[in-house]
Amino acid sequence: MDKKRAAFLSIFLFLAVNIVCLTKVIESYYGQEYGHVYTYMTVALLSTLFAVAAFFIWRKEEYKKSK
Amino acid sequence: MSDDKKKNNHQNDDQDMIKLIENLNRKDDVNLNRRAFLKASFGATVAIGLATTPFGVFSYMRDADGKVKRVEIADTKELAIGESKNFAYPTEDEPALLVRTPDDQYVAYNNKCTHLQCPVFYEHKENVLLCPCHKGYFDVNNGHPVAGPPQRELPKILLEVKNGKVYAVGREVRHG
Ligand code: FES
Repeated sequence: MDKKRAAFLSIFLFLAVNIVCLTKVIESYYGQEYGHVYTYMTVALLSTLFAVAAFFIWRKEEYKKSK
Repeated sequence: MSDDKKKNNHQNDDQDMIKLIENLNRKDDVNLNRRAFLKASFGATVAIGLATTPFGVFSYMRDADGKVKRVEIADTKELAIGESKNFAYPTEDEPALLVRTPDDQYVAYNNKCTHLQCPVFYEHKENVLLCPCHKGYFDVNNGHPVAGPPQRELPKILLEVKNGKVYAVGREVRHG
């Protein structure tokens, strides 16, 4: 239960992180600060990966219970 | 009898209500909504995360062909204090302005106004960069807008003075 809740909530955290990163990436892309583009892109991709992991953890727990 | 009937009706009513409530099956409903909500949020997370990659790819492409170029732009003897010179950097269609400031420093900026792209000039008397189109003023020392409509700074061109020559060695579009 606890693990499921953590996974559930963390997805929103990753969503927030990705939104911030996307705005930063766009901002630095048009400001031609390409170094920043790479940094924020990496952060966004990592957080996406974590979100995928969290989603699968949540899914496993959620549908196990309803069986 | 009439009392009994009433009671009956009442009971029936109650049971009907219970049925209605049970039909709603609230718990399942809430569960399904929460699942759908999380799935939508997860989808958005992935979509937004992946949306950053095209910018990375384009940056890489631009980075590769826009590598720091070192270009000679002027001779130090060419400019007296308070004079300026036009050149283009980093490409032919990006006009720029080199200024030798009153305190004998060389500064250079792309001189397309950040408001509506008029050319910006150096105003020696007031020691400012002036855009005549809508009276936009920029600070000579850092390229930041000081008055008028422009909101963003002029891209700064990094310079190097060596052996009596001024070289452009790079550019910072956003700075300080
Ligand atoms: S274009 Fe320079 S102030 Fe408007």
